[in-house]
Amino acid sequence: MSIKQKLARLKGHISTQPSVKRQQEENAIPYLEQWRAWNAEPFYFDGDYCLVREVVYSLDDYHGNYRLGDLHDVHRLWQTTPLSHPLSSKGHEVSDLFFFDTETTGLGSGTGNTIFLLGHARVYDDRVIVRQHILPHPGAEIALYQSFLSEVDYTTLVTYNGKAFDWPVVQTRHTLIRDALPHLPSFGHFDLYHASRRIWKQRLSSVRLAYVEKEILGVERKEDIPGFLAPMMYFEFLSTKHPETLVGVLKHNEMDVLSLIVLYIHLSKQILQAEEIDHATEKLEMARWFDTLGEVTEAKKVYEQVAESSRHEAMQAKWNLSLIYKKEKNYSKAIAIWEELFLTGQGRWKIEAAIELAKLYEHRFRDPKKAYHYAEEAYRLQKTLGRLSGQSVEEIKKRLDRLMRKITQ
Amino acid sequence: MMLNKRKTLQQILEDWRKNEHVAYWHTIPEREAETVPFPLSLHPRLKQALTQRGISALYTHQKEAYEAVEVRKNIVTVTPTASGKTLCYNLPILQAMLHHPEARALYIFPTKALAQDQKSALNELIHELESTIYCDTYDGDTSPTIRQKIRKAGNIVITNPDMLHSGILPHHTKWVALFENLRFVVIDELHTYRGVFGSHVANVIRRLKRICQFYGSNPQFICTSATIANPKELAETLTGCRMTLIDQNGAPAGKKHVIFYNPPVVNQALNIRKSATLAAKELAAELLKNSIQTIVFAKSRVRVELLLSYLKQLVKYEFGEQSIRAYRGGYLPSERRAIEKGLRNGEIVGVVSTNALELGVDIGQLQACIITGYPGTIASTWQQAGRAGRRQEESVVVIVASSSPLDQYIIQHPSYVLEKSPETARINPNNLVILADHLKCAAFELPFRREETFDGVEVVDILEFLADERVLYQKGEKWYWMSDSFPAHTISLRSASQENVIIIDISETGAHRVIGEMDRFSAMTLLHEEAIYLHQGIQYQVETLDWEEKKAYVRQVDVEYFTDANLAVELKVLEEDRKRKTAFAEIGFGDVMVLAKATIFKKLKLETHENIGSGPIYLPEEELHTNAVWISLTGESLGGEWSEGRLEQGLLGVAHALQYVAPLFVMCDPSDLHVVAQVKAVHNEQPTIFFYDRYPGGIGLSEALYSVMEQVITEAKQLLERCQCESGCPSCIGLDVSSNHAKRDALRLMGALIERRMEQDVD
Repeated sequence: MSIKQKLARLKGHISTQPSVKRQQEENAIPYLEQWRAWNAEPFYFDGDYCLVREVVYSLDDYHGNYRLGDLHDVHRLWQTTPLSHPLSSKGHEVSDLFFFDTETTGLGSGTGNTIFLLGHARVYDDRVIVRQHILPHPGAEIALYQSFLSEVDYTTLVTYNGKAFDWPVVQTRHTLIRDALPHLPSFGHFDLYHASRRIWKQRLSSVRLAYVEKEILGVERKEDIPGFLAPMMYFEFLSTKHPETLVGVLKHNEMDVLSLIVLYIHLSKQILQAEEIDHATEKLEMARWFDTLGEVTEAKKVYEQVAESSRHEAMQAKWNLSLIYKKEKNYSKAIAIWEELFLTGQGRWKIEAAIELAKLYEHRFRDPKKAYHYAEEAYRLQKTLGRLSGQSVEEIKKRLDRLMRKITQ
Repeated sequence: MMLNKRKTLQQILEDWRKNEHVAYWHTIPEREAETVPFPLSLHPRLKQALTQRGISALYTHQKEAYEAVEVRKNIVTVTPTASGKTLCYNLPILQAMLHHPEARALYIFPTKALAQDQKSALNELIHELESTIYCDTYDGDTSPTIRQKIRKAGNIVITNPDMLHSGILPHHTKWVALFENLRFVVIDELHTYRGVFGSHVANVIRRLKRICQFYGSNPQFICTSATIANPKELAETLTGCRMTLIDQNGAPAGKKHVIFYNPPVVNQALNIRKSATLAAKELAAELLKNSIQTIVFAKSRVRVELLLSYLKQLVKYEFGEQSIRAYRGGYLPSERRAIEKGLRNGEIVGVVSTNALELGVDIGQLQACIITGYPGTIASTWQQAGRAGRRQEESVVVIVASSSPLDQYIIQHPSYVLEKSPETARINPNNLVILADHLKCAAFELPFRREETFDGVEVVDILEFLADERVLYQKGEKWYWMSDSFPAHTISLRSASQENVIIIDISETGAHRVIGEMDRFSAMTLLHEEAIYLHQGIQYQVETLDWEEKKAYVRQVDVEYFTDANLAVELKVLEEDRKRKTAFAEIGFGDVMVLAKATIFKKLKLETHENIGSGPIYLPEEELHTNAVWISLTGESLGGEWSEGRLEQGLLGVAHALQYVAPLFVMCDPSDLHVVAQVKAVHNEQPTIFFYDRYPGGIGLSEALYSVMEQVITEAKQLLERCQCESGCPSCIGLDVSSNHAKRDALRLMGALIERRMEQDVD
């Protein structure tokens, strides 16, 4: 029995997921005229080619709530602010920022996941250029990466989850054909996904780019192809070769990179003008971010604003503020907040404040009686309210016992 | 003093010499160590480290391995337990790394536990070398930070085939440093890679070699194996490389006695012998009372527990209960090490173990070993027997027979175990289903070029097939993976076809856990609802079988019966590849289609196999294309007195006996090979017995039977002849046979099948 006959028999046992139709090898580039109509031109290299599509926008074009040219404004702000922040573009040129997104044939990180579209946008003094490098068939990756690596000159990637996904896939694909390509340089990286997660995790039900765009940036997409369909569209394109099958994906990617620009503008504004944020949760998260970054002055300023509001976030802001004061050994300010939380606060804040006061009076002011008063209060609250604070009832009990010994000594 | 009252092993052996139930006594003489000085080229630091560990010379096989590896040969070493096999690979590899710090090695162990053991042993040695060689395990338990470190800087990466298959090869671009500098691949416990698993692993190795080639490395293979008939052949098939066999063991061994013990008949009428478990515990008690370190092997976990509690009771006052320990699969390294340590310092005198211990775990060497019931293969018998026997002292191995026909056969033919070469391990890496699966993974890892072979195998046909099926995309002379799935995740190395039934233990509410998986075909008869499923000796009952979702929900039970399902099988020969004739029979081999439907199941009492109930099975029909070997009686051999009914009964009896014996010849699990009898086979209208591989496409089991068919039938015939029953019993010709003369008929049929005459091939 021939192998083919056997295979036909065993067909049911070999799982086959449809991908694409086999194609005759072709010499000419199919549908080149249509490609050109879509602003794409071939890039030839080493006997093969890829397609490079270019779209130019004016600085005055709007994408969602922002003008693309606003990037210049926030960039100027970054140059002058004393703030040091991971999203800061200080020291870079505007056009160094390389807003980058890919479309791939799969979701995993395995070697077989191929990038078929590398899209990026850059903002110049007079315009915005979106450029897309398109893989016309799987064998053309050398041409694809050659065009990607040689046409561009940049130092900093701006992506949405590119640290964990896009860039590792680029590295993988590059490794496979690295002998034929220039070295893959290492870049600085602004991953806006992490920033978005930090600030909107509480507020938004999802921090996918499409959702952030809609909720925060005011971007409305019309007739958009959802990202998860992109692989299927590409497989379809491989069998038809007609650019029309891919246009939806190209537009989708184009919107993505434009959204990255305005997301960067928006985030920069939020960071640089945090006092002007309206949304309390968002403002609190921003203050926290400054706090973890060690930007204490900025953090205090924003916390104070939240603390003064009537929102429930005020409690958290006060608490965080008090911890900063404690660290700074500014005890009077810390005590003022704790006493306030202890008297007017509720639940967790009341207990936490009581414990902090107990600690402070025990160790700093050597006043076991006063400390005992707060600890006892904390113990009572903790017992009635359950485990609300980080300290267990047993821990508080231990403190109480110790204080009692100190008092009676 | 107490000690004076204790007998020595020699004294016990003298007593046993007089024991009438000892059926056979075999003595293996002691062997002196054959040592040679350290090779001159050995790095001084290695020399020093070895000396610090009290090693002043090498055994001949260690040096032979060292020298062969030094001249870039691929080797397979076959040496018994405790012969210093790990030095056979560690020595040349550490040597190479001391000279070339960038060199990398990949160690492949069949299980995570073995990998852990090896890592700690190796790191001790590396520590003494005062070297920066970084060695770590890479498996499902490795934390993300360690993973990164190993990928970048691991000189020795210890892993298992499954991880290599789904965790390393598909991500090879993250392992550039390893693959560019890979000098050695170590495959330990080679003999475990057989059957479907081995066939998968062989393809994983093909993929590994392909990736190495891409990064410009060409590693040497170093394999170690327990004693099997064909270590060199297996290693060569598995790695696709020429191998040098190193099997001249230079390690010393003390005198070893192998005793075949047949418990007395306790019920003359029914021909039932005293249970092997009881006999084994009496023998073990005698040894343990006299403080002789003993390991007892039992076939199931239940028996282990029985033996354990009895023996603990026995030594409670003398040594304390902790002096007897059970050893089961799935122990944590710390628990195992505690047992090892206890044995070394004498706190533990006895270990009761299931067969799980067979696999390479080093618990040290004991003075005595008792094997309760024939383990099923010669190779495992020797592996278990290898647990007894220190380097200098005398040791004893007792094989206690059960009443089963197979055990009785062994007792009557000790030479079968003592003289026959152990079983051959078979794999078939070119099974089309397995091959196609791994080609998908390989194409995912790197596109295929037309002129490329898969480690020597022409695969263009399969690639074209996969492209037709739209799994791959062909562009010019290359095939590309073009699908949004991750092929390695859907292909499991450990079990047969892709669509496996997952077995979920629901005994504990809220703590459901997956305990195994099984191919669909086997699941029909073993996992139908109400089936008793045995997993590591524990009984489970199947509560629900979700055939659509391929999930079987089982609950732990303790019942006195097992279940046996009836599979109605229709079998069609699609193509006859080979054929030969004997006097009255025709033996063929080729492709077949099996249509199977589970019909009913019976509940059978554990000891007596008495039928205590039955029920229907509602499952759809399954289709299987595979290889089969068959033997048909040609018309003239039987007289006219054979009615169809009688013939059927006879053939069923023959098939039952063959189902016992055939797996012995091809060293496979009995469930991997099926036997079916047909009074009138569709393809030649003759009474025929088929043996088919249970895996789609076949894995070489039936093919191996083709040439030894007469031998298999001869053995089965002897089994029937020696069974002391009058007219057939459940353990010789089986339960499906009711007629009085079925046993005689079966014997006559077998006689006819193997009648000799001038053989002629009609290929």
